[in-house]
Amino acid sequence: MTDKIAKYIKEEVANEPLTELDMQEDLLGSGIIDSVGMMKLVLFLENEFDVKIGPSDMTVENFLNLNSIESFLLKRKQETG
Amino acid sequence: MKRALTSNQQTLWIGQKMHPDVPIHNTAYAFTIAAELDLKAFRKAFQKLVYEVEAFRTVFKEEDGVPMQSVKSDMSYEMECIDLSLETDQAVQLWLEKRSQRLLELDNSAFDSALIRRGERKFIWFLNMHHLITDAVSLATIFQNTADYYKAYLNRTELPKDINPAPYSEYIDDLVSQKNGKRENNNTGLLSEKLEGLGQLPRYYGVKKEGSATRASRISIPLSKEKSDKIRALITDPDLRSWSEHLSLFNFFTSLFFVFLYRTSGKQQIAIGAPSHNRGTRKFARTVGYFVQVFPLINELQASDTFRTLIKRNALEINDYLRYSTQGESNYKLNQSFNAVLNYINTEFGDFCDFETKTSWIHPGHMDEQHQIRCHVMDFQSSGAFEIAIDLNDEVFSKDLREKVSVHFTKLLDAFITDLDTPILKPELITADEKSVLIPKPEKGWKFVPTIERFHQTARKFPESTALRLGSETIDYRDLERKVGALALKLKEQGVKPGDAIGVCFFRSPEYIISILAVMKLGAVFVPIASDLPEHRVKYMVETADCVLLLTNELLARKLSIISKPTIEIDHGSLEISEEDLAAETYFSPKEEDPAYIIFTSGSTGDPKGTVIPNLALSNYSGWAASYYLEDRPSSFPLFTSVGFDLTITSTFLPLLTGGEIVIYKENERGPDMSILQVIEDNIVEAIKLTPSHLNLISGIELVESKIRTVIIGGEDLRTDVALKIHEELDGKATVYNEYGPTEATVGCVVSRFDPKKHNRTSVPIGQPIRNMQVFILDPYGNLNPAGVAGELFLGGHGIAKGYLNNSKLNQEKFAVREGISENRLYQTGDLARWNSDGELEFLGRIDEQVKLKGYRIELTDIEANLNEHEAVNSAAVVLLDPSSRNTEDKVLNCAECGLPSNYPNADFDDEGVCHLCNSFKGYRHEAAKYFKTEEDLKQLLSAPKAKGVDYDCLTLLSGGKDSTYILARLVNMGLKVLAFTLDNGYISDQAKNNINKIVKKLGVDHIYGETPHMNKVFVDSLHRHANVCNGCFKVIYTLSTQIALERNIPFVVTGLSRGQFFETRLTEELFWESSRDTATIDETILEARKLYHQEEDAVKNLMDVSMFQDPATFEKVQFVDFYRYSDVSLTEMLHFLKEKVGWERPTDTGRSTNCLINQVGIYVHKKEKGYSNYSFPYSWDVRLGHKTRAETLEEINEYIDEKEVKRIMKEIGYLDSPYAAEERRKLVGYYTSDDKVTDRELYTFLRGRLPSYMVPSVYKRLESLPLTSNGKVDRLALQSFNEAQLEMETAYVAPRNEIEELLEGIWKEVLQLKKIGVHDNFITLGGHSLAAIRVTTRINEELGMGLGLNKIFELPTIAEYAAFIEATIVELLE
Repeated sequence: MTDKIAKYIKEEVANEPLTELDMQEDLLGSGIIDSVGMMKLVLFLENEFDVKIGPSDMTVENFLNLNSIESFLLKRKQETG
Repeated sequence: MKRALTSNQQTLWIGQKMHPDVPIHNTAYAFTIAAELDLKAFRKAFQKLVYEVEAFRTVFKEEDGVPMQSVKSDMSYEMECIDLSLETDQAVQLWLEKRSQRLLELDNSAFDSALIRRGERKFIWFLNMHHLITDAVSLATIFQNTADYYKAYLNRTELPKDINPAPYSEYIDDLVSQKNGKRENNNTGLLSEKLEGLGQLPRYYGVKKEGSATRASRISIPLSKEKSDKIRALITDPDLRSWSEHLSLFNFFTSLFFVFLYRTSGKQQIAIGAPSHNRGTRKFARTVGYFVQVFPLINELQASDTFRTLIKRNALEINDYLRYSTQGESNYKLNQSFNAVLNYINTEFGDFCDFETKTSWIHPGHMDEQHQIRCHVMDFQSSGAFEIAIDLNDEVFSKDLREKVSVHFTKLLDAFITDLDTPILKPELITADEKSVLIPKPEKGWKFVPTIERFHQTARKFPESTALRLGSETIDYRDLERKVGALALKLKEQGVKPGDAIGVCFFRSPEYIISILAVMKLGAVFVPIASDLPEHRVKYMVETADCVLLLTNELLARKLSIISKPTIEIDHGSLEISEEDLAAETYFSPKEEDPAYIIFTSGSTGDPKGTVIPNLALSNYSGWAASYYLEDRPSSFPLFTSVGFDLTITSTFLPLLTGGEIVIYKENERGPDMSILQVIEDNIVEAIKLTPSHLNLISGIELVESKIRTVIIGGEDLRTDVALKIHEELDGKATVYNEYGPTEATVGCVVSRFDPKKHNRTSVPIGQPIRNMQVFILDPYGNLNPAGVAGELFLGGHGIAKGYLNNSKLNQEKFAVREGISENRLYQTGDLARWNSDGELEFLGRIDEQVKLKGYRIELTDIEANLNEHEAVNSAAVVLLDPSSRNTEDKVLNCAECGLPSNYPNADFDDEGVCHLCNSFKGYRHEAAKYFKTEEDLKQLLSAPKAKGVDYDCLTLLSGGKDSTYILARLVNMGLKVLAFTLDNGYISDQAKNNINKIVKKLGVDHIYGETPHMNKVFVDSLHRHANVCNGCFKVIYTLSTQIALERNIPFVVTGLSRGQFFETRLTEELFWESSRDTATIDETILEARKLYHQEEDAVKNLMDVSMFQDPATFEKVQFVDFYRYSDVSLTEMLHFLKEKVGWERPTDTGRSTNCLINQVGIYVHKKEKGYSNYSFPYSWDVRLGHKTRAETLEEINEYIDEKEVKRIMKEIGYLDSPYAAEERRKLVGYYTSDDKVTDRELYTFLRGRLPSYMVPSVYKRLESLPLTSNGKVDRLALQSFNEAQLEMETAYVAPRNEIEELLEGIWKEVLQLKKIGVHDNFITLGGHSLAAIRVTTRINEELGMGLGLNKIFELPTIAEYAAFIEATIVELLE
C-alpha cells in the first residue's frame, strides 16, 4: 500500500524530484507537497483504495507522513468493513 | 497548429471581448533592481527567453467566432530601453501605470516589456503580459530564468539548460486527451448545489452595481511584521491548522474576508472567488502560461459565529473547494457566482542575481466587471510581512468609501488577531468620525408645550375662525372650546380623573373631536376606536386599556351592547353650553410622561395590542409637523381616515394647532370608505394626509384645479412612480412628503420631501429623522452599521411610546436601552433600512412577517389565529399574495449565442452561457430542416388550377414592411394573380402607407385595406392577455383575411411570418422528437392547433364575426401558407431585390425598426410586466436560424422607447396603465384545511365579525394539507406560488396521487411555466392555449408511446381526468 502511495507522491505531486521517501518524512511541513498536490493525493487514494475521504478527514493528523496515511486508510477500511 | 482555449482562458477571453478597449487582464510587474545592469546582457537574456518560452510567442485569433491560440514559430523582439534617471519617483510611477494600461495586441504579441534606467545602480524592469499567457507562478519563473540567462551572458558562461519545461501547448493537449479519456469530474453536482443556495450576489455598503464599468482602484494595506508574525503564530492553533502553513493562512484570510463581506453587505451566504494555482503535477510546475483556476469558496456565515467557529467551518469548505478546483475546470458561469475575490499569492520573487530587488504588481486601473472587490494577500520579497492590496470597482466604491474599506477591514483584522473567540459581529467597524455622523447630537432650545395647551392658545387667537366643518355646518374655535369645556365638566362630574383611560368610539364627527379634546383637557387618556370594528375586538380593547368610560353615540352604542363599561352617548347637538359651565372651567396640565392616548394595532396572537403614547411624544410630533409642513400657518385638513389609525392624528391635530379647519368626512355606516373621493370633489382643503392606497382611489381624477398644496403620504412604502404621478397631477404646485413612522414612535418620525429630480430609485427614501428623533441602523449585535449597509432601524427620542399595555415581556424586548448607542430606550421597529449616499434613509422591508396593506400594518398570525377559531377549519395559514414581487434585482444575462435574456421564463444557461433552447435546437436542427421547402414548391402549390370565376390565386398579407413587400413581389414574379390585403389598425405610419400604395401600384396588383371598429378593444385585450399588441393584431388579420378569401373563393392566404416566428408560435421542439414523423403529420398537428386557436376566448372571438371558424370546411376552403417556409432569402439579397424591383424604402417615421406605431406600447407593457421584450423570444429564433446576428437582436430588443408617446397611445386606445396595478393585485389569501367544504362567503363573514375589514382575506383556498418546510414550519413561499387563476378555482388543491398524475403534472408545470398545479385544476383556466396543447400532448405521447389527439386536453382539461383516461386506455391495450 505505502509503496504505491510513495510512488505516486514521488512521481506526480512532489514539488521537487524525489528519489527517497521515508515513512516518517513530514509531507506537509517540509513543503514536499502543497495543498493542491495533497488534494490530488486524496483523489488518488480514493480511486486506488476505494475509500471516501470527507472534508473532515483531511487533517494534518491523517496526512502528516506515509505512516499516518497508512493508518488512516487501514482504520477507514476497517470501519467500512 | 491552432488550439482551442482552455476553459479558464475562455473566461478571460469573454471578459476581454466584452471590453475590447480596456486593459482588464493586463498583468504588469515592475522589478526595481539595485544594481548597475549590463543593458546588452539583459536585453539578450530577455530576448532569449522570448525565443525559448512558448507563451511569449502565443497569439490569439477568432475563427468563426471561436477563439483559437497558436504559437508563432519565430518572433523577432527588441526590448526597449528608456532612461528616466532624471525623473521624480512620482513621474516614474505615473509612467509605469500608464504603460501598464497599454492595450496588448493579442493577435500579434500579448506582452510588453521595457528596461528603465533610474539612476546610478538603479533599474526598473517593466514586464506586462496579458493574463491569457501568464500567472503569478509563470512570472516568478520568467523572473528567475531571465536572471539565470543574464548571469550566463554577463559572465560568458554556458547558458542554463532545462530552463524550459513542458510548454503550455502540451498542457492543453493533455487536458484534451484527459477529457476524452475519462468522465467529466463528478463534483459539479456538489458545487452547483452549494451555488444554488447563494441567492443574490451581495451588495456592499448598499451600493448596487448598475452598469458594466470596469474601472477600479487599488488600496494598499501593508501589515507590520509584528501583525504578520502574530497571524503566523495564531494559525498554529490546532483549530486553525490545515495541511500546510499556506493553506492555514489561506483559511485565515478568506475567513477574515468573509466576515468583512458579511459585515458590509449584510448577506450571510457568500461565495468568494479564490484562484488556485492549479499546478498539481510536477510536469507543469514551472510552465509559463495561464494555469490559474478561479473557483468559488462558499460559506454561510452565522450571526452566532466567532472567528474560531467560522475558521473551523471554513477549513471544511476549503477542503471541498480544493476538491472541485483540483478536479474540475472553472468557467464563465462559475465566474458569475461571486463578485468578490480573495487571491492568496504564495509566490516569491526574491532578488535578481543577488541584487536587492523590489517586486511590485501594478494595477492596470481596471478589472473584470463582474468583480466588485478583489483582495490580494502577498509577500513577494519573503519579508515576513504581508501586504494586502484591495482592488475596488470605482462604480461601487467611491473615493470616500475606499478609505472606509481600509479602516473597516483593518478593524476586523485587529479584533481577530487580538482574540479568536471574538464573535464575528462584535467588532465595531466604524470610526469615531463615522460615529459622530451616525449618532446625532441632542437638540437644544426646544420646550415642551402640551398639545391641549397649544389648542387652547390657538382657539383664543382665532376665536372666529372655523375649526370644524361637516357638510354645511361649521363650528368656530370659540364654540369648539366651549363645547370641549362643557363635556370636560360633564366627564369630571362622572368622576374622570387625570390618567383615566376613556374609550372614544364615533363615526368621524364633531363629537369625536370634542370628545378627545375634552378627555385631554382633564389629563385623561383617549383610546380612539374606529366605528367599523367588530364588537368583540372593541370589548377586548376597552377592557385591556382598562377604560373607565366609553364615549360613543346612540347608534354605535347599540352595536356595542356587550361592553359592560359605563357609556356616555353624545349625539349631534347634545352638547349644550351653559354660562355656569363656562365659569367652572377645568384644566389639568399634563406632564411630559403622562399618557395622551392609546392606539391599538394588529397583534401577533390574534388580539390587538395597545401602544401608550405620552404627551411629550404627541406634542413633539404635532408641534414639529405644524411648523415643518405648514410653517404654523392656519391650514385645513380633511378628516377622512379611520380614527383608530395613528396616521389620522396628523389630520386631527394640525388644523387645531394652526387655526385651520378640520373638514370632517363621515364614513358610511357600512361598505367601503370612499370619503377620499368626496374630499377631492369638494376641493376645500389645502393639505392632506393619506396613504399610497388612497392615491390609487383618486388616480385618474382631474386634479389641476385642486387647492391641495401639501400632500403628506404615510402608512406604507411610497413608490417613486406613485409619488411622481400625484406630483404631476397636482401640476407640480404641491409639495409631496413621504412620512415614515410606526405607531410606537408616534405617527411620523422620519420624513423626506419628494424631489422628482433626485429620487429616481423604485421607492422614495423615507428621509431624515424629524426634530428630537434619532435613527440608528444596527446589526444583530447592536453595532451601528456603516452608512449604506442595511440593518434594523431603531428609533429614539421624544416620540417613543411608553410601551405596550400589559406586556412587559414585549416591552423589555422592543423598548430596550442599547448600550453604546444611546442612554435612552430605543424602539426596535423590525424594519430594514439603510442610509443612502445622499444621507437619506431608505426603507427596505420587514424583518419579520408583519405586512402592510393599504397603509395598515397587519400581523398575519393575528388573522390565522382567528381563522383557526372557525369550527370547520382544522389548520390555517394566511399570506399576502404579491404578484409584483418578482425578483428583478439580479442582473440579466443574454445567451452567448442567441441573446435570449436570462429572465425569460425557465431560461437555463450552461457553463458557457448558452441557453437551453440553443442547446436543444442543436439536437433537432437537422430534423427541423425537413420542414422547410423551396420557392419552386410554393409556386406549384399556389398555381394549382382554380375553380371557375375565381380571380385570384392567393391573398397575401401586406404590412408594408420589407418582408411582406418581398413576398408580394416574389408572388407577382412567379406569375401569380395576387390580392394584397392590409389591416389598417389605425397605427400604420404614413410612410408605410405611402410605401404600400406605391408598391401595389408599381406591381400592378389589386389591394384592399381591412379594418374593424373594435381594434382598440382588441389591443387592450391583447395587452391584458399577452402583454403585447401583436397577438391581437395577428388574430384580426387572420380573421379578416379568412373572411375575404371565403367571400372571393381565394384558396390560399400567404402570410409573412418569419422563420423565427414559426418556432415561436407553432414549431415546438416536441414536434421533432420523433425523427420518423413526416412533415404531413406536423402539418396536421399545426392545422389542428390553428382550429383550437380560433376557439380561444378573447376580444376577437367576442367582438368580431368568427362564425366561419365553427365550420371545419373553412380550413379546407382557405389554406394558410407561410411564405418563409419556402424561402430562405438573406437580408442583403432581399433588400437588393426590393430596391431593384419595387423601390421599397424603410419608413423612418416610426423611429424604430417596425412600421407600426403601436408596436412599442406592446414592448413597453411586456417589459414592464415580464421584465423582457416580447421580441426577445422570436428574435432568439431568428439568431438560431441565422437570420439575424446576436448583436442586431440585442440592439433591437433594447431599443429606446418613447414613453410619452406610449402613454399617449395608451390613453387613446383606453388602456389604463396605472402605477397601482401592482398594488391592486396584492391581497390577503387565507389557506385552510377542513374536513368539509366551507364557502368563502362563510369564512369571510366569520372573520369580518372578529377582525377589522382591512384584515379580512378576500380569497380563500382549501388545501388537502398545508405545505411544510423541512423544518416543519408552514411553507409560506409555497403558498405564495399559486397564481391568481389557481386561487380562483373552486377546486381544492390536490397533489398528484399516482405516477401518471405525477407525469402529467410535471409536463403541465413545464409547459405552462407554473410552480404548482393541482390535479383538478383546469388547463384552459391555467392559461393553456393551442400551442401549449401541442407541447403537452406531444410530450405525453412521447413519454407513453401513445397517439392522443390535441383535442383531448380540451375535452379532459384536468390532470385527474386526463390521467384516468390514459389509465383506461392502457388497461384496454393490455387486455
